[in-house]
Amino acid sequence: MRNLIILFIAFWADAAIGQNKQVLFGLEEVPQNIMLNPGSKVPQKSHYGIPFFSQIHINGGASGVSTFDIFGKSAVDINTRIENKLYELTDKDFFTATQQLDLINFGWTGKSKLFYSGGIYQELDFIFYFPKDLAVLAWEGNREFIGYDFDLGEISTTGDFMTVFHFGVNKQINSKLTAGVRAKIYSSMFSFKSTHNSGTFTTELGDENSPNVYEHKLQNVDISVETSGYASLRELDGAGEVTSEILGRAFFGGNLGVGIDLGATYDISNRFTATASILDFGAIFHTKDVENYRARSSYTLDGIELIFPPIVDGQGTLPYYEDLEDEVEREVPIDTLHNSYTQMRPVKFNAGLRYSFGKPTDGGTDCNCYNMSGGVSRNQAVGLQYYSIFRPKGPQHAATIFYYRRLFNFLSAKATYTMDSYSSSNVGFGIVTDLGKFNFYVAADNLQSYGNLAKAKSVSLQLGFNLKIDRE
Amino acid sequence: MNTNLAIPLLGFLTFLLFTSCIKDTDFDQAYDIALTPEVELDLIYFNLRARDFYDTITSSSILTVRDTTDLRFLDDGEIQDNLRRAEFFFEFTNTIPRNFNVDFQFLSEANDTTYTTQTQINSGAVGSPVVTEFIENIEGDAIADLTRSFKVVVSVTIPSSSATLEGELDLKSKTTYYLEF
Repeated sequence: MRNLIILFIAFWADAAIGQNKQVLFGLEEVPQNIMLNPGSKVPQKSHYGIPFFSQIHINGGASGVSTFDIFGKSAVDINTRIENKLYELTDKDFFTATQQLDLINFGWTGKSKLFYSGGIYQELDFIFYFPKDLAVLAWEGNREFIGYDFDLGEISTTGDFMTVFHFGVNKQINSKLTAGVRAKIYSSMFSFKSTHNSGTFTTELGDENSPNVYEHKLQNVDISVETSGYASLRELDGAGEVTSEILGRAFFGGNLGVGIDLGATYDISNRFTATASILDFGAIFHTKDVENYRARSSYTLDGIELIFPPIVDGQGTLPYYEDLEDEVEREVPIDTLHNSYTQMRPVKFNAGLRYSFGKPTDGGTDCNCYNMSGGVSRNQAVGLQYYSIFRPKGPQHAATIFYYRRLFNFLSAKATYTMDSYSSSNVGFGIVTDLGKFNFYVAADNLQSYGNLAKAKSVSLQLGFNLKIDRE
Repeated sequence: MNTNLAIPLLGFLTFLLFTSCIKDTDFDQAYDIALTPEVELDLIYFNLRARDFYDTITSSSILTVRDTTDLRFLDDGEIQDNLRRAEFFFEFTNTIPRNFNVDFQFLSEANDTTYTTQTQINSGAVGSPVVTEFIENIEGDAIADLTRSFKVVVSVTIPSSSATLEGELDLKSKTTYYLEF
C-alpha cells in the first residue's frame, strides 16, 4: 500500500506533459507543423520523415504539485508536506501523460499545387484527476470527518493507446489564404474511461432511533468504468503475450474510430498573419473486447445485529457476517456489462496571431509586387498563441507569447513563454535546421526547470528527423 | 542582426541536455511516508428484552444468553501488519432493574481464545434508562492477540430473572482503528 502511494506520488510529479506543442505550432520549417495545423503554409515541396524518428513527442505534467514539493530536502516532515499538499490540491488538479511516435510521415506537392500529407503515428494519452475526497479519506480516515460527504464523483480518468492513420490535403487558395483538412482513422489498442461518476460516502452520528452509533451511508452512488481491449488481456500469460496481443491491434485490429483536423492560415496584411486549427474532432467506437463495470447504490451500513437465538444443541450460531457480506454484495452490486460505447477524442484547438518584422527572407525586398496583399516571410516575428484541449472536467487552456527568428537560411529558432494549468512561467525553446535535405528539430518547454527537473510541474519534448525537399 | 547567436543557442541547448538534472531531493524520505488513517466503524448492536432471560416453557431463568459473530477482517493480513491501536466503545442502555455482566471473548478460527474483556452494566428501571459506557483500548502487544481473532462471543449474564421482569438492554458499539501503512 505504502509503496503504491510512493509510486503514485513519484509518477504524479515526474511524468509530465499535455498535448500543447506551443513551440512547434506555426514553425513552418518543421514538416510536422502541418500535423498541428493542416492549413499551415507549406514551404517545402515534399518531405519524408525518417521512419520512427520523424516525430517523438513526450509530455507529462501535474497541476499543483512537483516532485520537489514532496521530496525536496526540507526540515519539515515529509508527511506534513504531503498533508499540506493534499489540502492545497483540488479535484480539478490532474496528472497527465502524452506520448506520440511517428511511424511514418510524408508529404508531397501534387497536381493543382495541392500538398498531400499522410502517415501513421502511435499515441498514448492519459489523464487522471486528483480524487481529493478519496485521498483525504485514505490519508486521514473518517474519524475527523463525521458528517462529511466524501464525494465519490471526483473519480475521473481516461486512457487511450492507439494507432492513428492520417491523410491530409493542403492548398494555398489565394495569396492570403491557405487551408487544409486531414482525415484520421483511429485504431484503439487499449482504452479505459471513468467519467461522470457521482455519489457520496458519509459516516453520520446516529440519533436515538438509529440501531448503532454511526450510520455509514453510500448515497446515490453511480460509478462506472468502461474498458476496451482489456478483457482479452486477462486471459493471457505474461508480459510478452500481452505486448504481442496489443501490437497485433495496431493495424486496424483494434476498435476503430474516425476524426478530422481542420486548419487555415490567413495573411491579414503583409506583416500580420492569423492561424487556427481544430484537431482530433472525432470519436472511437468501442465495440470489440468491451468490458464495462457499473456500481449503483444507496445503502446504509449499521454494523452487525446480534439477536441471541435460543441455543439448540448441535446447531451453530447465525451466519451474521456472511449475511452482511451478502447484503453488501446485493445492495452495492457491481455489474459487468459488454455494451459498446463511444468515446470522443479530446478535441484540441490552436490559434495564433503573428507579426513579422526584420529582413524579408525570400530575396531582400520589402514588397513582393506580385503579391501585394499576401504575407512576406521575414526573419523575425512575434505573436500570440492560444491552445485548449477538451478534458473530462472541462477545457484546459494555455496562452503563449513567442519570438521567432530565422538565424541563417539553415537555422531557425523560436522561444515561447506560456501560461497554462501547470504554471504561469513556462519558457520553451526550439530550433530547426535544414542541412542540405536533412531536416532536424528539437523543442522543449519548461526550460527554466531543467536545472532541476524536480521543480517542474510539466515537461514537454518533441524532436524529429526528416528528409525535406524545398520548392524550386 | 546578430547571426552569431546561433552558436551560443546551440551550445545552450546542448548545455541543457547535459545539465538537466534532479537535485535537492531526497527520495529516501519515501521510507518515512506513513499513512495514518483513523477509521471509525460500527461494530455490533443488540436489543435484549427482559423476557429473553426467562424460559416460559420450562418456567426457568436463563441466566446467560450468548451469541457469536465472525469478525473476519480482524485477522486479515493488511490489518495484522498495519493496525497499531484499536479502541472499542460500547454503550449499553438498560431499563431492566438488574446489573449485568457482559463478556467479550475473541476466538481464532480454530476456536482458541485470543483476547477477552468484560464489563459490568448498571441496573436501570423501566421509564428511566441508565447508560453505561465501556471503552476497551488495545495497543502494543495485545494488538497481535486481537488480530489473530476471527470471531467474538458475546455473553450477557443476569444475576436473577423472573417471568415478570420487564425492560430492555440495548447495545450500540463502534471501533476506532488506528492504522499505519
